[in-house]
Amino acid sequence: MPSHSPDDRPGSTTRRNLLAAGAGLAITGLAGCLGDSGASDTDDSGEPWGDALESSAVSWDDLGDLEGDLTVYSGRKRSQIDPLFQQLEEAYPDLTINRDYDDNARQLNKLREEGDASPADVFYTQSSGALANLKQDDLLRDLPADIVEAVPADKSDPDGTWTGASGRVRAVQFNTETFEAVDLPTDIFEYAEDERFQGIISTRPNSGTFQSFIVAMLELEGEQATREWVRAMVDDQDATLYSSGSAQAEAIEAGENQVGLGNQYYAARILNNDPEANLGVTFTENDPGTLFNVSGVGIPESTGKFGLAAEFTRHVLAAEGQEFFVDVNGEYPVVEGVEYVGAMPPLSDLETPDFDLNALADVERAVDLLREEGMTV
Amino acid sequence: MFDQQLTRERGSSMAFGLPAVSVAIALLVVSPLFWIVLRASQVDPVRALSLVASAQTATILGNSVALMALVTVFSVVIGVPMAVLTTRTDLPYRRFWTVAGSLPLVVPSYIGAFAFVAAFGRHGEFGRLFGIPLPQIDGFSGAVLIITLYTYPYVFLSARAALLSMDASLISAARTLNRTPLQAFREVTVPQITPAVGAGALLVALYAISDFGTPAFMGVEVFTSAIYWEYGAFNVEYAALLSLQLLAVTAVVLLIEARIGQDDGGPGGSGGETIRLGRWRWPAAGTMALVAVVTLLVPVVIFARWALRGAGTEMPSLAFDLEYAVNSVYLSALAALVAAGFALPVGYLSARSDGVVGRLAERATYVGFAVPGIVIGLALVFLGSQYVPWIYRTVPLLVFAYVVRFLPQVVGSTRSAVLQVDDRLLEAARTLDEDSMGAFRRVTLPLIAPGVVAGTMLVFLTSMKELPATLMLQPIGMETLATIIWSAHSTLYYRYAALPALILVVVSGLSMLIVLTQEDTYDS
Repeated sequence: MPSHSPDDRPGSTTRRNLLAAGAGLAITGLAGCLGDSGASDTDDSGEPWGDALESSAVSWDDLGDLEGDLTVYSGRKRSQIDPLFQQLEEAYPDLTINRDYDDNARQLNKLREEGDASPADVFYTQSSGALANLKQDDLLRDLPADIVEAVPADKSDPDGTWTGASGRVRAVQFNTETFEAVDLPTDIFEYAEDERFQGIISTRPNSGTFQSFIVAMLELEGEQATREWVRAMVDDQDATLYSSGSAQAEAIEAGENQVGLGNQYYAARILNNDPEANLGVTFTENDPGTLFNVSGVGIPESTGKFGLAAEFTRHVLAAEGQEFFVDVNGEYPVVEGVEYVGAMPPLSDLETPDFDLNALADVERAVDLLREEGMTV
Repeated sequence: MFDQQLTRERGSSMAFGLPAVSVAIALLVVSPLFWIVLRASQVDPVRALSLVASAQTATILGNSVALMALVTVFSVVIGVPMAVLTTRTDLPYRRFWTVAGSLPLVVPSYIGAFAFVAAFGRHGEFGRLFGIPLPQIDGFSGAVLIITLYTYPYVFLSARAALLSMDASLISAARTLNRTPLQAFREVTVPQITPAVGAGALLVALYAISDFGTPAFMGVEVFTSAIYWEYGAFNVEYAALLSLQLLAVTAVVLLIEARIGQDDGGPGGSGGETIRLGRWRWPAAGTMALVAVVTLLVPVVIFARWALRGAGTEMPSLAFDLEYAVNSVYLSALAALVAAGFALPVGYLSARSDGVVGRLAERATYVGFAVPGIVIGLALVFLGSQYVPWIYRTVPLLVFAYVVRFLPQVVGSTRSAVLQVDDRLLEAARTLDEDSMGAFRRVTLPLIAPGVVAGTMLVFLTSMKELPATLMLQPIGMETLATIIWSAHSTLYYRYAALPALILVVVSGLSMLIVLTQEDTYDS
């Protein structure tokens, strides 16, 4: 039976501890009468309903049973995350997940406009920039300690207001009829300088992850180098600018462009639809071009179901959840104990730069720079 | 004495109730403006200034206005001759061409743009199919072409309505004065139909400036691109500022159209001689066919291609469910009914009264049509969640969003219909001791019904294809055809987009047929 002893949250007063203890005892007593499924979905402590997470992935069998109504605002697309929700609902018949799907940025703006009136219990984002943005304005609740400790600091927020759930790496997509992976540079700056890429390269400036890549470049390489890179891409390389990731990837496959900086996701989808497609993926080394970014989970302050949201998060970070991301999405896990098996190289083979994902909150600087240098759609 | 009685009748129907109701409706549908101004006032002045004064903003302004102007001009160039061809000539299969000429309006712009590029691009389907390289459709000219092709029906339909209801005996009179058919057209017909063409062109212009999908796909930077860009960087305040700039342009357009729209209307007419096309018949039919094929066949072919793109992973989450179609139809039908209810007082007042109130209320309804759906959506997210939380993310608020967006389509047609009503009929009703409400119900309403129904169907079919506001305001879990198409299409699960897209187009097409049947009642 889960215990509801007062936890040592920073800033809690003795009075709050006593109240929590009293409530905890009452709930425990009630739970004892109702059965062994544990806490109700209005539990606000965030304590584990079953076992706590560990640094190596646990199984759903060890975690508490999910029950109740959970509202998830997802910036991920239906095809990327809904199967996991379905899996959870099948495992826990008393659980209902209310899904709201929309573009990542629109979800964030919506959440902000709603404020306290937001019905969202969980904010599941496509990339961490949105979570970092919410953290900046204290709109996320602190996650329980076991969740924070289970995920490495470079894949989540070290202060524990959000956590990554799965990872992707920025990649270079190319047309396999024109290039082979060995032909292509491993230095992102060469793509802006090498004449070979004039007129045949593309980017997607409105993509959240592209803008994150520019933020990373600003942090890691400085403004001058970043500005010069963008200018060169627009003026010297005459890069084609796309507003749609699928259009960009398809154009490369069709031969309209030969190289493109983008997400591995669309290339994987195209190859999945047609294994004979003329599309390949390669990576740069140790620079922003191979930035590791996570899609992740945050729990908004406005939720009335912190306990259920927290337990849901545990399930996402457990073995079955992480395996879903690897098998279905071809993404990298963020917890130890689950191995990446797929078409992409294992994460250990890639040299991704050291980067604090929270810096991605400051996307305005990057966006202004892109606009000033003419890389907009 | 007759005139005095008319004025009196007018005065009594201008009871305090009608202007008050119109103003209330106008304020209601303009409410998102409150949010836009609120957010715009929160910008950081320094960044705002650099944004407004930048070269990019000048480019955006130039592109938007140019796009709007060219699309409007070309829509008139296509729509008016087609309207003449299908109403005043002996073109064979006129009914068929009328239907085909109206249907492009049912195709969502993002699908139209995608279909064109997929079909006509250098590596497009048609190129592969026929083995010949076709010209690339992209950039500014591509955007003008596509938006024109999918919005000219607004002009086509309104010109048709005017041609069908004008007193064609005037043309016969002109002919007896030794005018050639062309001169008669210029001197008699054109002034008669100009207000209606202006109303249709206004819808085209505002659609063009509020469209996001096509310019984005074609790589043209316009206001909507900049607004989406700022939203993407989580800068809602700057997006709001850009929306205000867009509204400033809209205000100018509304003023211009108000000038053109000065008309007295005329009593319904009939007859008039048919223009014999002779050897021009087949080129005329051929041109109509070309436009119809290009605008309708291309998307359908692309849908078929989507459906046949087998292989790849199964994604049961995207599988079609009849519920999506039911939701779309339910929401759109409700929006159409509410819009009709709002349009009756507003359209009636603006037609019958010369006052500022009536005109202003009618103009105000166009604001929602010019503002991109994403802005209306976010405005209502704020207003809904903060002020009326009990209907936030429920059907009523989403229906309201559709009404805000699409109301002018039915206000315009209501107004035109009311202008056509003969004052003498109303006077006759009064002599039978009807009060103004009774006269309205028993005389005016039946006469304006065709126009109102036509406009209502336009609201229905534009609501069916709406996407951004739906994504934000939909009751959680209530998907529509448009949202499912988007989910599937944007993640390259094309075959799951095919069936919903086809159903969307077919159902909207049926509503368009209803629009066209309403025209029959003009000829009486």
